[in-house]
Amino acid sequence: MGRKSFLCFLALALFPGFSATLAPLANAQQAQPIVLGAPLATAFLYGWDAERGMRLAVEEINAAGGVNVAGQKRPFHLEVIDTRDLEPGVPVSDALLAVEKLILEKKADFIVGGPVRSEAALAAMDLLSKHKKISILTTGALTPKYHERVAEEYEKFKYCFRITGESKWMVKEIITCLMDIKERFKLDKMFIMVQDVAHARAGGDIIEKLATEKGWQVTGKEVYPTGTTDFSMGLLAARRTKAQVLLIWMDMPETSILLKQWYDMKVAALPFGSIIAAAEQPGFWKATEGKGEFCLANVVNAGNAPSQATPWTMKFYDAYTKRWGVEPEGYGTSSSYMAPYVLKDAIERAGTLDPEKVVEALEKTDLMGVYGRIKFDPKSHQVIPSLDPQEGAVGTIFQWQAGKRVVVFPPKIAMGQIQLPPWMK
Amino acid sequence: MAEVQRRKERLDRGIKVRAESIYAVSSWEEAAYLLAPRIILVLGLLLAPLLVQSPYWKRVVTVVCVYGLLGLSFDFLAHFVGLVSLGGALATGVGGYASALANKALGLPVFLSIPLASLAGGVVCTVLLLPCLPLRGVYFAIVTLMYPLVLSRLVEAFNILGGTDGIPGVQGFGGPWAESYIIISALLLCLFGLRRLVNEDLGLILRGVKDNDQAVKASGISVTRYKAIAVFIASTLGCLAGAYLAHLYMWAGLSLFALDFSILPIAATVIGGGGTLVGAVVGSMILVPLSELLREFGTLRIAFYALVLMGFIVVRSEGLMVWAQRKYHQFERWVQI
Amino acid sequence: MEIIVYGIVNSVSLALMALGFTLVYGISRLPNFAHGAFYILAGYLAWVGIRSLNMGYIVSVLLTILVVGILGMAMYRFFLIRVRGMPISEIIASYAMGLFILEALRWKGLKGMTFTLPVIYPGTIFLFDVPVDYQRLLVVAIGAGIVAGLWLFTKFTRLGLALRGIAQDEQAAMMLGIDSDAMATVATGLGSALAAVAAIVLLPLGNIVVEAGYQVLIFAVAVCIVGGLGSWAGAILASFIIGFAQILTVSYMQSHFQVVVALLAIILTLIAKPSGLFGRQKQLEERV
Repeated sequence: MGRKSFLCFLALALFPGFSATLAPLANAQQAQPIVLGAPLATAFLYGWDAERGMRLAVEEINAAGGVNVAGQKRPFHLEVIDTRDLEPGVPVSDALLAVEKLILEKKADFIVGGPVRSEAALAAMDLLSKHKKISILTTGALTPKYHERVAEEYEKFKYCFRITGESKWMVKEIITCLMDIKERFKLDKMFIMVQDVAHARAGGDIIEKLATEKGWQVTGKEVYPTGTTDFSMGLLAARRTKAQVLLIWMDMPETSILLKQWYDMKVAALPFGSIIAAAEQPGFWKATEGKGEFCLANVVNAGNAPSQATPWTMKFYDAYTKRWGVEPEGYGTSSSYMAPYVLKDAIERAGTLDPEKVVEALEKTDLMGVYGRIKFDPKSHQVIPSLDPQEGAVGTIFQWQAGKRVVVFPPKIAMGQIQLPPWMK
Repeated sequence: MAEVQRRKERLDRGIKVRAESIYAVSSWEEAAYLLAPRIILVLGLLLAPLLVQSPYWKRVVTVVCVYGLLGLSFDFLAHFVGLVSLGGALATGVGGYASALANKALGLPVFLSIPLASLAGGVVCTVLLLPCLPLRGVYFAIVTLMYPLVLSRLVEAFNILGGTDGIPGVQGFGGPWAESYIIISALLLCLFGLRRLVNEDLGLILRGVKDNDQAVKASGISVTRYKAIAVFIASTLGCLAGAYLAHLYMWAGLSLFALDFSILPIAATVIGGGGTLVGAVVGSMILVPLSELLREFGTLRIAFYALVLMGFIVVRSEGLMVWAQRKYHQFERWVQI
Repeated sequence: MEIIVYGIVNSVSLALMALGFTLVYGISRLPNFAHGAFYILAGYLAWVGIRSLNMGYIVSVLLTILVVGILGMAMYRFFLIRVRGMPISEIIASYAMGLFILEALRWKGLKGMTFTLPVIYPGTIFLFDVPVDYQRLLVVAIGAGIVAGLWLFTKFTRLGLALRGIAQDEQAAMMLGIDSDAMATVATGLGSALAAVAAIVLLPLGNIVVEAGYQVLIFAVAVCIVGGLGSWAGAILASFIIGFAQILTVSYMQSHFQVVVALLAIILTLIAKPSGLFGRQKQLEERV
């Protein structure tokens, strides 16, 4: 090796040292704004949908003057860090490191958004309790364990809130919608296809149990590992057992392959996505070359597909589409948009940034938001759901029809009716 | 009229010759020549947590040490036994889960669960890798590449060990000083221990296996047995790193099988200099802070490690520490033929 | 009946994935860990040609195969040649190259459902009351065609015979004037081109994602080890064994055993018969 390579090495070796000394300087000028730390998996749908929702809200709030903290108007400042926690090979410790970096280095006052993956969210609760930082979960993390843990150890985890739906309520909505389908089209055979992750397996089991109780016949159940690219055997089994509804619960993008194969094989079953990541996005139509028509998808909170739940819903929908050039996509968009507004409301009522006071103020939230009336359960800090936007937060199930996402459930906000694929008649 | 022909000559430095064996204690210069690098390394590592202010960078120091351990394990296997392990994540995963289980299911405190998990994990990894030990190198590489991927699939599929949620609520260390110094002392012990080991009888046999395994076999020594011992030592180190991580983040999960734990030690060893165990540590000192700074670029950092690896191979570079050691012990001059 | 039809499709898919890898290893004893990367790279280049630059299907496909083949040759000629003969470095080098390509593509956004290749001929037919789409039938047809083509190539053309010569006995072939490095370059290029063909035929069945690259590498390696590193007949037989095993486990047990089947196959082979079914590399065993 020559002298040049040695100098390169020296530079490489000293570079970290330089950057470490520069880092504290950068933090000195951020005393004024209220810092919102957002640990998100920005490379994934459930990360970038949240980021865009949040940025839109922060921009709107700052344009309107900011947050009134006991007479002083302060802007929000959004700090997003990529936790990479939805990537298959990445350690959850990375997500935790990101949350720590937000708290310790970026001096976040509040944490909004993630971590997105349930395991990371659960693990982060201890971290948040250690640093006494309020966090509002807005996307991903459907596990009921999250709010159950808050209720169990209230004093320790009272800083954790969740403003997006969770699987227990979702299942209730899904069963109601399924009963509707059963009534209308006289269908009663179901084939369940779930992804091999905790929330999907649990959800599939619960739906199997409840549906069977209500008169459905479950003709089969398949569990697919994350990243499966071939669903042919399962679809063939569904076809063989004459299933009429395909109950799908997967958050991996390979669901577009599932729909393509479903179409190719002309399986006479209605695809019902309790969670079906690919179908939630506007790009789904193009990605499946239209083969994904008639697929139903649940986007957890209203506002992620066009409906008239509250006056704010379409206002948000159009503002988002204008700002980002694409319609709201995943299920975390509207909830991530609401979180800064809810925080603003709580901080203004509390008159301070003190975590204890803001926690109290958040528990008293009663806001007419994008997807209904936003209130938190005082013990578990979970947003209170309902089928009526005037009462609580509503969910949304839509169906792809002729290239558009048409909301079909809950009935109070539906924009259209469920249709069966032509080869099913 | 005669053309002057010159060649480059490389000779040991005078001080090196003077510091050989017993003469090292003959004067302060010789002793310092030998001790200085080692003292700088040891003191540097021990003082690092004190010199670094922000808790975030203190955490980075501990992560450097964790990857240093993994790098040691890779370097030892690759350059002293001839087995390329493309799956360091196997050891981290097994060690992490073992430690979490020991802590939660058996109720052992941290100071017992980590050593127990390292040893038990070492045994498990060795047993898992046993089928490919009687065979040549490329099989070992392939099997170690596959194991972390398949094991994580298995944990997910059978929903054992907490499935995708992992095992939360593992006991922590109770203080940042304990966190940092436990891993730093572990790293230093393992580093100097391994350096000693490769010069003992066991180490010589292992190096013989790397150079010419048929000759070792012909001497009546069971090659498979010694390879198994080497794999046990290396995976114990890896499991120690994994067990430590489980307690550091107070959580053990599928991400302990991540690709990061396999790739970064390889890149660290190549940069730092393969064959000099300290090279792996130096390599991770360079790569880990760099990877933190590159966090904004997401997965590009793995592409970056890969690019660095490729660069080193193309230039046929020997690595930082190999070069440094050569410069330290020898000098070059032009000599007329 | 479904099992037989889809079993055959799956087996031929595996064979297509593995042929490139086994070719390179058989001829120049070089484990090309960048095989999966070339597979995905080919898919991406084809996508760019078809969807982004609108160059038309046939042109894009031919160009992709050509470009990937040349890249494979370049990889050997300028990169792997420097570590020839040092097994540790060969493995690390090709793995690093594969990793670089895959992770760079991942950073570029090759995940999710956006990147798809069109099927060659759309539509489904019902074979013995089993719905099979034309693309899957084409997979089987093209796979059989490639195997036949390779067999003819290595039996009747000068280049093919030279490759076989190097595979059988490097020293003897060199004495006959066959340049080992040149042959290795050709082999790597051919292997990469085969990966590209596999990609173009198999990727329309799914999406182009980086995870598929790692999966292809694992399957290719599993097939080659079970069949015997370097034996083409072995690779084909092994792909049928593993292919049917996978379909059977998916049908009768849960589908998350699919990858486990590959690993189990490797471990069983290594324990029972390390050189594989038709392996000629007995020196790889050094049982004590």
